[in-house]
Amino acid sequence: MTEKRICRIEDVPSNGLKECEVDNGAPVLVINSGEEYFACNAICPHQEVPLCEGMFDGKVLTCHMHLWQWDVRTGAPIGLAEAPLEMFEVSVDDGWLCIRASNALRVASLFEGIAQETLEKINAIAEERQCSEGEVLYTVGDPAEELFILESGRVEFLVGRDGKVTSGGFMVRKGEVFGWAPLMENQKQRVAQATCKEAVTLLSLNGAKVREILEEDPRSGMKVMMRLSSLLTKYMIAAGTS
Amino acid sequence: MKVKITSRAGEHQFDAEPEERILYAGLRGGLSLPYECATGTCGTCKARLISGEIEDLWPDAPGKKNLKSDQGQFLMCQCAAKGDVVAEVSQFVTSLRPLSGAPQWCEGTIRNTRMLTADVMALQLELDVTLGFEAGQFMAVEVPEVKGLRGYSMVNFSTDSSVLDFVIKKLPGGALSNWLFSGSRDGVRARLFGPLGVATFHPDVAKNLLCIAGGTGIAGIMSILDRACQTRHFDRFEGDVFFGVRTPEDAFYLDELAAFQAGFPRSLRVTVAFSDQPATDEIRSRYPGIRFAEGFVHEVAGRDMQGRFENVMAYLAGPPPAVDSSIRLLIMAGVGADSIKYDKFS
Ligand SMILES: Cc1cc2nc3c(=O)[nH]c(=O)nc-3n(C[C@H](O)[C@H](O)[C@H](O)COP(=O)(O)OP(=O)(O)OC[C@H]3O[C@@H](n4cnc5c(N)ncnc54)[C@H](O)[C@@H]3O)c2cc1C
Ligand code: FES
Ligand code: FES
Repeated sequence: MTEKRICRIEDVPSNGLKECEVDNGAPVLVINSGEEYFACNAICPHQEVPLCEGMFDGKVLTCHMHLWQWDVRTGAPIGLAEAPLEMFEVSVDDGWLCIRASNALRVASLFEGIAQETLEKINAIAEERQCSEGEVLYTVGDPAEELFILESGRVEFLVGRDGKVTSGGFMVRKGEVFGWAPLMENQKQRVAQATCKEAVTLLSLNGAKVREILEEDPRSGMKVMMRLSSLLTKYMIAAGTS
Repeated sequence: MKVKITSRAGEHQFDAEPEERILYAGLRGGLSLPYECATGTCGTCKARLISGEIEDLWPDAPGKKNLKSDQGQFLMCQCAAKGDVVAEVSQFVTSLRPLSGAPQWCEGTIRNTRMLTADVMALQLELDVTLGFEAGQFMAVEVPEVKGLRGYSMVNFSTDSSVLDFVIKKLPGGALSNWLFSGSRDGVRARLFGPLGVATFHPDVAKNLLCIAGGTGIAGIMSILDRACQTRHFDRFEGDVFFGVRTPEDAFYLDELAAFQAGFPRSLRVTVAFSDQPATDEIRSRYPGIRFAEGFVHEVAGRDMQGRFENVMAYLAGPPPAVDSSIRLLIMAGVGADSIKYDKFS
């Protein structure tokens, strides 16, 4: 997506929120926090509720429905929130607020808060891929070499094999990461099948290269590994295997 | 009938009885399905039908307001499976094992109805079984003459009880409350599902308690205060209770609140806010331990709590506008969302 002008900055209330319509796109929420402006998807990632009806104290945005909260500078979830906000990159041009879609890597909570330089290195090895509906990204037993970040569309997972196959869930949010086996030790094969249920855009990252990059910046690497283990725990609890 | 729920991290299966709401069948089966009111008003139990047929038991449910029914979205608390059903929930769903503590169906008899004010009635439900519940939880209740279930919060607290105390307000045009107020209902059998709700107090909560209740919202707060006093929570932590009603004639449970307060005179404060009339001298002199104020309960609480929001666990209950205003007050005062528990009596 190229840069889009979406509103005049004087129309955004001071330390407040403004929902803006965008031509053929989902509405965008513009946020003023002191001197700074931020923009995100205007719909709550939980249950399709308009975030402009939420509460904003200048730093933290709260959806009024079930009180999910986010740091508006990064979109990172706080407290009860189970998903980040989908943030846009923002610039101000001649009094106009302009937005540009962030790439999925920048909104991926797995990589949130890591050093900018490290993120750039990871970005440099990311390859964008368009997949069509029905395409199988990997299946049980395939070599696990890449991990994926969802840009748009829907991916579903199946676990088990030989007639005893059950759903392993689905992913629909921009920035969700899957196929994380290559970030782990001795996980050389896929243990699930991932299928595109719609046309899907994703970023694919070579796992060995990501590990190399993270080894050079252990502080960021530690962050990513902590996130990954929380994510795995969440899935294990949900699957009842903890 | 078999119901399969696909969630973000995998699928879960459970059995549902004919006409049984899918939400209740799943909760009974130990699943952490999303819900808030469990009675068709909030929309939180939204799911998407993937295959099979469902019956909508309340097509006019207000909780359907934001549903995209053309995409197969439905309320799990108002729809029953008409055969095997597969549905999708967009959250993480976990499975609770063992099943003890999972809500269940039970039956009971209405006993000891008594009027507390002109339009508030206290009553008991004597269950055929004993039930464990947390302070602050509610039951969904159904009586033969009235269609649908209503949520009612337990007033008492006990870990293992067959008697549940409730307090119910008469609502203009309300089906169940008008049925209740229009004749002697002692001895009528009711069907209940629960315990439900997560706005609960447990003695592990190492925080000051802030309770803001509008009208019968005080029900669950009484249960929370009962438990907190039993466990001597206010020896270690502060407590602030704000109870809002319209006029002095609308106030109830003042003896009980005064007794809680007298048990912890230095650490527990109880304030009753009247929105439509000032407190009378009579009520002030009768309840010296209770403070009386004029205004909406969240405004009174906001003024009084200024500078004291740190380390609180807040419990809010009552009509949705009162709860929403209180939530806004707390969020803007910097109280974290995980320290705010609420029940909207919608
Ligand atoms: C968590 C929770 C706890 C509550 N605790 C209390 C309490 O302690 N004391 C109290 O007085 N009130 C409480 N309420 C409110 C209570 O549930 C009722 O909404 C209220 O008593 C009014 O009921 P009514 O039948 O008089 O009004 P009505 O307007 O007839 O019905 C109100 C509610 O009943 C249900 N309902 C109505 N028609 C149907 C139908 N055809 N099919 C299915 N469902 C239907 C809906 O939930 C509706 O919102 C609580 C509500 C909730 C959500
Ligand atoms: S809809 Fe926003 S938190 Fe639930
Ligand atoms: S839980 Fe079903 S509408 Fe509230």
